[in-house]
Amino acid sequence: MSPPSEAPCQETTGFLFSHACGEPMEAACDRCGKILCRDHVSSVQGESLCMTCAEEEEDDEGDEGADSDSDSSPTEDDPSYYYDDYGYYGGSTWGGGSSKDPNDFTEADGESLRNEDDASFEEDLGGS
Amino acid sequence: MAALRWLVYALGGGMGHLTRACALARLAARRGHAVTLLTNSPFAPGLPLDAVLGPGVTVWRPGATLDKQGVREAVARWLDAERPDVFVVDTFPRGLGGELAPLLPGLRARKVLIHRDLNPAYVERFDVARAVDAFDLLLVPGEDAPFAGHPRAVRTAPWLLLEEGELLSRAEARGRLGVAAEEARPVVAVMGCGTPAEVEEAGDIAARLQSRLEGSAVVRWLVPPGAREPRAPASDEGLPSRSVRATALPAPPHPSDALLATVWPALAVLPGVDVLVGAGGYNTVHEARATGTPLMALARARLYDRQALRLRAEERADSVEAWVERAVQLALARPGRGPGPYVSGTRDAVARIERLLLSA
Repeated sequence: MSPPSEAPCQETTGFLFSHACGEPMEAACDRCGKILCRDHVSSVQGESLCMTCAEEEEDDEGDEGADSDSDSSPTEDDPSYYYDDYGYYGGSTWGGGSSKDPNDFTEADGESLRNEDDASFEEDLGGS
Repeated sequence: MAALRWLVYALGGGMGHLTRACALARLAARRGHAVTLLTNSPFAPGLPLDAVLGPGVTVWRPGATLDKQGVREAVARWLDAERPDVFVVDTFPRGLGGELAPLLPGLRARKVLIHRDLNPAYVERFDVARAVDAFDLLLVPGEDAPFAGHPRAVRTAPWLLLEEGELLSRAEARGRLGVAAEEARPVVAVMGCGTPAEVEEAGDIAARLQSRLEGSAVVRWLVPPGAREPRAPASDEGLPSRSVRATALPAPPHPSDALLATVWPALAVLPGVDVLVGAGGYNTVHEARATGTPLMALARARLYDRQALRLRAEERADSVEAWVERAVQLALARPGRGPGPYVSGTRDAVARIERLLLSA
């Protein structure tokens, strides 16, 4: 870990309004070089990482775990998990048959629905 | 009816909550009511809110340094000090940080929820059904919502910030976008909003469209005022205020700076736009549909809002590459504008809230 200096932390902080942290430097991210204060440096497997790089590392680890943990039961990513009796397209649209409905979502659309299991509800006031 | 005191709670990121709340607030103020609007939109400091909202609306931005507990205390103090006749909450019945849930039962105002779709995981985990029951009226503005069948729920058309007569003519709109009156090529506008990063990405998309269209269309990058200029902090005094101070550095140069058109509300210039390229946010989508502007949109990931559900198949691109490609095809096809009609539910919403107050 690098010694403390006067360089300001480059992470953003703030509950209502995102703004630069600005606290004194404690370390630099071992991967992207971002300057970090004591509160914003994460130690992951011996590396000092910023929040973004630490999350990417955790995601990579999670993906590896998921590959070996398949389950055929419906999950929150399956539209039928939520849409028995509520939704824009009605229950009859989903599943069954070989015809393709033009309103069906694609894998790319899933990006905008991916936060359905996000744990930051009521914690991120930049959320919308 | 007699002038009453309205508080409109519009905490939430992006511009959607603020824009919808502004639509309601300005019409309520025109009816003579005194309106205070609470926002933490990062775009708010740069917007010409005075001009759009008029003199009857006060905007409050809570202190930027407040933590979650600080927000709870500030909102509680705000409600206690303002003593509203009606408290209108946009989208989040528990408040964005859950701070309203314990406050609403003791609040002596009439309570109105602007009820919209919410991430079902949030609805389930945070017992949103219970929170909804604290409201005297649920206004459902143009889209389906989990409790749209509630006995106190009323559907309206989507709310738009401007009335039809306030939109610019096609010639005026093109002039506002820096397009010559004699220009025969279609105008493709890329909407930059959502988050500061998405504003910049919209500039990238505009540059790609400019390159792909090779002069067969005029491309513009629509950006709200202040989004690429120095940012101002919120009022740390915790008092309603519109005064701002710029402290940050300006945005770095962008390859699409020559395409930049700084405008808000973008709705005003849509009569001059032939193809709108944007995300799937509430205002972008409903403004495009109301003005008959062909839209090509990418559904963005949000914590609560599910943009993919809002978009029709013909409006929705599956990836950034498809977004660009389909926008190019749309511009080259030169589609005609949709037939309208221009319908906004905002005036209906104000009338329904006034009716609720009369019945109190």
